[in-house]
Amino acid sequence: MLDLRGKSDTADRAFRWIAIGAAGLVLLILGMIALSMGDRARPVIAEMGFDFFSSTRWSPPDTLYGALPFIWGTLYTALIALALAVPVSLGVALFITQVAPRWLKKPLIYMIDLVAVVPSVVFGLWGVLVLSQHFGLGRSFLTAGIILAVMITPIITSLAREVIETTPVAEKEAALALGATRWEMIRASVLPHSKGGLVGAVMLGLGRALGETIAAALVIGSALGQITPNPFAPGNSMPAVIANEWGEADDMHKSALIALAVTLFVITIVVNLIATAIVQRSMRKSRGKAT
Amino acid sequence: MSELRPALDLRRKRTWRSTKSTLMTVLMGAAVAVVLIPLVAVMWSVISRGAGVMLQSFPDFFTAEIPLVSRRPGPGMGPAIVGTLLATGGATLLAVPLGVLGAVYLHEYGAGSKFAGAVRFMTTVMTGVPSIVMGLFVYLMWTMRFGYSAFGGALALACLMLPVVISSTEQMLKLVPNNLREASYALGTTKSRTILTVVLPAALPGIVSGALLAIARAAGETAPLLFAVGAASTYNPHLFTEANTSLSLQIFSNATSSFVAAQDRAWGAALTLVMLTFALTLTARIFTARFALKR
Amino acid sequence: MTKMLVIGALSALGLVAGCGGKKDPDGGGGGGASGAGGTSGTPASDKATLNASGATFQKPYQEVAIEAFTKANPKITINYGAGGSGKGRQDFADQVADFACTDAPYKDADLGKVKGGEFFYFPNVLGAITVSFNVAGVDKLNLSAPTIAKIFQREIKKWNDAAIAADNPGVTLPDADIVVAHRSDGSGTTENFTKYLDKASGGAWKLKSGSTVEWPADTQAGNGNSGVAQIVKSTKGAIGYVDLSDAKASGLKYASIKNQAGKFVDPTPEAVSASGDGIEVDAKLLFSALDAKGDVAYPITAQSWCMLYAKAKDPSKAAALKSYFRYMLTDGQKLLPEIDFAPIPKSLADKALAQLDKVQ
Repeated sequence: MLDLRGKSDTADRAFRWIAIGAAGLVLLILGMIALSMGDRARPVIAEMGFDFFSSTRWSPPDTLYGALPFIWGTLYTALIALALAVPVSLGVALFITQVAPRWLKKPLIYMIDLVAVVPSVVFGLWGVLVLSQHFGLGRSFLTAGIILAVMITPIITSLAREVIETTPVAEKEAALALGATRWEMIRASVLPHSKGGLVGAVMLGLGRALGETIAAALVIGSALGQITPNPFAPGNSMPAVIANEWGEADDMHKSALIALAVTLFVITIVVNLIATAIVQRSMRKSRGKAT
Repeated sequence: MSELRPALDLRRKRTWRSTKSTLMTVLMGAAVAVVLIPLVAVMWSVISRGAGVMLQSFPDFFTAEIPLVSRRPGPGMGPAIVGTLLATGGATLLAVPLGVLGAVYLHEYGAGSKFAGAVRFMTTVMTGVPSIVMGLFVYLMWTMRFGYSAFGGALALACLMLPVVISSTEQMLKLVPNNLREASYALGTTKSRTILTVVLPAALPGIVSGALLAIARAAGETAPLLFAVGAASTYNPHLFTEANTSLSLQIFSNATSSFVAAQDRAWGAALTLVMLTFALTLTARIFTARFALKR
Repeated sequence: MTKMLVIGALSALGLVAGCGGKKDPDGGGGGGASGAGGTSGTPASDKATLNASGATFQKPYQEVAIEAFTKANPKITINYGAGGSGKGRQDFADQVADFACTDAPYKDADLGKVKGGEFFYFPNVLGAITVSFNVAGVDKLNLSAPTIAKIFQREIKKWNDAAIAADNPGVTLPDADIVVAHRSDGSGTTENFTKYLDKASGGAWKLKSGSTVEWPADTQAGNGNSGVAQIVKSTKGAIGYVDLSDAKASGLKYASIKNQAGKFVDPTPEAVSASGDGIEVDAKLLFSALDAKGDVAYPITAQSWCMLYAKAKDPSKAAALKSYFRYMLTDGQKLLPEIDFAPIPKSLADKALAQLDKVQ
């Protein structure tokens, strides 16, 4: 574009710099998170070494901080949540895009978006006072997994829906024209087309489930040192431990909790980045195909 | 057996293939039912157990202070409502202007530059930071120096909102047609004036809608407030000083109580919080539906 | 919408101001006001907000005492954050809290961390720690220290275990799994409970004592006494240690515990007072009421202190602090039996009041 406006005045330049500053804030905050937390996590790593990640004993009075049971609890509850949420989310996404009549689509989407805005502490309250008490589940990995599943379903569903909707109509019609039933059409055109995006959607859900604190803290049972595949056993997860123990922690204990936070931070970031990369690549690919 | 068969049978026949398809369709419908069960169940519990508490002592539930003696029945979530408004309001004042400016840089100035690419990438990273990590970060940066206050909570919430506002605003700026900008430049307007008087107003409804959704999420957050806000039971209208509280914190602490009265107050607070977040979400929807630029 | 929120916040502020204005400064008639003439001290004339932190064990007492005291002294606000004794000691040491309450004194090694100089312990309550349970069909249960130790160490896993049955002739115990509930936060209640087991179980207790101990993996934890009470109340087969006040208010059943004299005693304020009669107090007003002698003494009786610096960090709060501590040691003591705690012996209260005069 030909710029005939002459030299930009001071106000114009100032605005530009303000905008740059605002954008740079993101880098600044992330940098500060990494620095401040990394610095505070160092004492416990110096004390425990790699045992921090591999030991199962967590006993602050003895300065023993083995985070393995909490890492296990975080991953295990997130996996339970995925196992429950993924089939349901896929089913809902397919129903909305392939089955539902036009008039039903919007209300359904709204309803599912509403689930996404219910605060996690409200799910936690329901989990601890209703689900765990009246359905005989107690406080356990499973109860935490169910609550997490409820919370990540809307995220996976809405992403899966967007991905599926990028399937070119021509491909679907081609399948139907060949005599495919609806399910065969879904299997032959929709699913292969959206596979990458769906994997990404699931991983974004996983990222969310890993970092969820409050609901898990309320229903997981706060057991120490528990590593078991028994879903009915009480356990603990990294964010729940941080929430429950921070209040009375002394310096080394705080350092251990911050180290837990850093571990959690790294795991979720990695999961999220992989997810975003997969989603973006598959979206770009499908858009390329569609045009 | 020996009757004549038409060469082409156009009647629909029940085959394994079509049965399977029907079955899968039914399963998809069942998934919808399954996903609505928790929503209905949670809302049922929240409304049936929260509304009673709320209406029994209306309007005291919204104005009275939180009882010090937690086993005693009776209203009061007033200080928590004020605390939630303070922390969320403070976060909004911080995150929305900065987020919009950041997005303006990404789309209007930096498009294609390496710095913008880095910021965009880091915005994605920041969206995934678990909320408890933000809470700890703000504790280390702010609370350790300045003590408990609603502002600490506002800072943590703002950190969570910032990346969301940036990316939703950037999406909206993409929808503003380029010829609007060109028309403005043609009149000799500077770039900053163009952005402030032409681009942003055009994208405003979408920006507002995105911001409202971010605020709705922030209002319900607990973990970021846990270490920053404190545990007051009386009104504290000051943003920067002294311990405060919030609806979410009250729900969290009362949820594990063994006293029916405290649990009741948790349900009442939950209903209040759900109404607040739903109202924000609905307003956002209306903005999107009525005023937003269509793709 | 920013404007909307600001307006909302402002109107909320107006509301607050309105509420504040309506408060009648002379209207507080509660327990505190009745003794205003002498022991409650002259109501501090300056506005003050006292931030306190500490034991959940004495949270019920702090709740009623603060309520009554602030009614009589409307200019004073007291926030008691019940994050556990451990947090109380930490916050007090860091001078984050104006005063703090704890069920156990500082360990000698930690005294160096106390940043505010000389400080005093003020004993203010005695209370029972119950062993609460939730077993279908069982209303009364007798337990002795070695049995409790084995249950909480997960060596006894069934309710109909021979060791439990031996103390409970005539009670039909079900063949049900025991679910152990303990505290997830650092707790003076845990410290006193484990100290008792350490002292009285004759070596059966192996997990040491402290505000947090390394519980077996297959046990559940709740936040605060109330959190443990909720688990016991809502879980079949559960057992947990909860202070009497919270246990009773939550409608829990609790066991009679075998004392030194070999008698099974119910936790009651009287049985707790009986434990308080024989205590030996040192110069710092520290003592232990656990496993006391006497036929009617309830053995798991715990004590709690509030701590105050000799020189308040913020001198403007000193008057309010002294006034509240004086109240806790005098008229406030009368509130204790109502909430199932016991007052400290009169002689001890007098010593504590004398100590309060050293605070500036």
